[in-house]
Amino acid sequence: MDLPRLLVVLSAAFALLVLTIHYFRARRWGVKPVYAKIQGTPRQALIYTFTAGMMPWSKESASKHLPTFIVGIIFHLAVVAAVVTLLAAIFVWTLPSLLKSVLLATLFAGLACGLGLFVKRMVVGYLRAISVPDDFVANLLVNLFMINAAVNLIAGVSTVFFVTAIVLFAYIPFGKIRHCWFFFCSRLLFAEFYGYRGALPPAQQVHHD
Amino acid sequence: MTENNACPIDAFQQRLAQLDETALDQARATLVSKWSYAAEVYARACVHCGLCSDSCHYFLIDPSKESVPAYRLKLVTDVFACHQSKSRKISGARELDRNTVDEWIDCLFGRCTLCNRCGLNCSVGINIAQMIRIGRSVLAASRLVPPELQSTVDAAVNTGNNMAISREEWFETIDWLNGELQQEVGDPQACLPLDRAGATILYAVNPREVKFFPLSLLAAAKIFHTAGENWTFSKEYYDVTNYALFSGDDTIGGMLSSRLIETARKLGVRTLVLGECGHGFKATRWDAPEWLGQTPDIEIKSVLEVVEDYIRQGRIRLDPRLNSKRVTLHDPCNLVRNGGIVEQSRAILKAGVSDFVEMIPNRLQNYCCGGGGGQLSMTRYAKRRLAAGKVKADQIAATGAKIVVAPCHNCIDQLSELNRDYKLGVEVKTVCEMVADAIVGTPAS
Ligand code: SF4
Ligand code: SF4
Repeated sequence: MDLPRLLVVLSAAFALLVLTIHYFRARRWGVKPVYAKIQGTPRQALIYTFTAGMMPWSKESASKHLPTFIVGIIFHLAVVAAVVTLLAAIFVWTLPSLLKSVLLATLFAGLACGLGLFVKRMVVGYLRAISVPDDFVANLLVNLFMINAAVNLIAGVSTVFFVTAIVLFAYIPFGKIRHCWFFFCSRLLFAEFYGYRGALPPAQQVHHD
Repeated sequence: MTENNACPIDAFQQRLAQLDETALDQARATLVSKWSYAAEVYARACVHCGLCSDSCHYFLIDPSKESVPAYRLKLVTDVFACHQSKSRKISGARELDRNTVDEWIDCLFGRCTLCNRCGLNCSVGINIAQMIRIGRSVLAASRLVPPELQSTVDAAVNTGNNMAISREEWFETIDWLNGELQQEVGDPQACLPLDRAGATILYAVNPREVKFFPLSLLAAAKIFHTAGENWTFSKEYYDVTNYALFSGDDTIGGMLSSRLIETARKLGVRTLVLGECGHGFKATRWDAPEWLGQTPDIEIKSVLEVVEDYIRQGRIRLDPRLNSKRVTLHDPCNLVRNGGIVEQSRAILKAGVSDFVEMIPNRLQNYCCGGGGGQLSMTRYAKRRLAAGKVKADQIAATGAKIVVAPCHNCIDQLSELNRDYKLGVEVKTVCEMVADAIVGTPAS
């Protein structure tokens, strides 16, 4: 493995390591034991939380904001596409042309969505009010990562792609992209809270307005 | 409680004006002491997507940044970030100074009912109400709880109930209700027992029932009597409410709940049944064990679970034709979304009313009435509370119901005000009142 590739792998390992450290440091703040008698079916609540509970009909953040929800899904799919492209570039895989086309389409769609989210954050007043520089930086970094993934697929240019990846990985643990890890921690706590109370999974589906 | 005989509001303003670095340092230390794994996860998980905004009834009425749940969450996490590593400062950090304290009081006390509807709908699953309560805890430790809310807590601590009802008044009410119950059920032996040792159930109620709604006590007594239940009230500690849940004081919260648990123990009662009070249920059933650091050795149930059992077991029989008007149900946040008592009220009402219609949305997704989180006691925010209640008023109006049932006396107060202000033309009742109206005796009778 040449130096640029090695640095990408090392930066990814660094991100993972720092996220793991963050996680254990978070646990040092104290995991509160549960003393109340549990009712309901916590296991089913856990399954629900990561399946049906993520669907638009289960949460308003999706159902009331369907376009943003879809844009968000495409954006995250494009991140996956960029990572697949990165893996292919590092390990010199030859991707079938159909897969290349799918990846490219996803990356362009994701890029459009990423820029859309950036603009939305700038123009919607209350969203701007809860935003910090990190929100914009993270968005731009990911967009840059996707652009370079696309360039790599089209023109085979790797060096810039690798540099972007290194910067992105190094940034992950210190900015909002760390939600790639803490999202799961948060959803687990969500499942515990509602699962222990027997409030989720819901006995009946709720009708939204 | 007042300080130096000053009026509580003056004392509060005085404390605010005198906030010095030492006091602020103490507040920062409290914030750190309240921090936990969950708080840390939530602080790191929020992506500032803002998608929680319109899950909050405050935002639906006033779409300002202060009404965005994530903004309130950020108010707390940014202060914490300020005292942590430098890297976190790129995520926005904020010093806990006089301005921040002012904003905390206004946003965390004055613009939130701790309903956690935002948390249920957050794209990441952050328990925003829990985080806002951490902020309230810091203010509570600095004695910066709005005085109207604090005086409710103080009344409960000092007199045994949040309305400072004297023992004489309590006994007189029970005496009067004994006569009413005997007439109602046609049994001269019927009574509302006090301190009956070895009873199966100890029943705790909202002092508002004693003071303003004794007929809801009568309704519960009629249900217990008809079901042949061996139940009792306590002479001393019968208050199911726990406003420390809202003020943010875990120590007082634990103390208030432990009074009920201890009373049950002393009387040799195995089941503490909590009357129709959403926050009282959440505080005693779910939070008190955490505040006290131990699992209670008695069973703690909502009266709705008990009544549903009576119906299922055939211990009481209802005739839905006796409740023929259209009825809708308000789901109290702390009983339903945050308490897990979701289907019981429905099962009861379906057995006891002939025209039941759901609000949309309902169950866990139901909107807060706007009276929770101590808002009803914090008169300074009354205008805001009633404005935010429009969401609930619209929900009610859309059902075309003539009766709104709410298994929570706090909600009943707010709903009654909404009924008046928004001219809804409905009656507001408890579940037990509906049941009592539909009782046709036990199968045996
Ligand atoms: S929905 Fe959740 S993640 Fe998004 S801004 Fe609100 S609290 Fe943060
Ligand atoms: S807990 Fe309820 S009132 Fe408070 S911010 Fe969330 S939705 Fe709004």
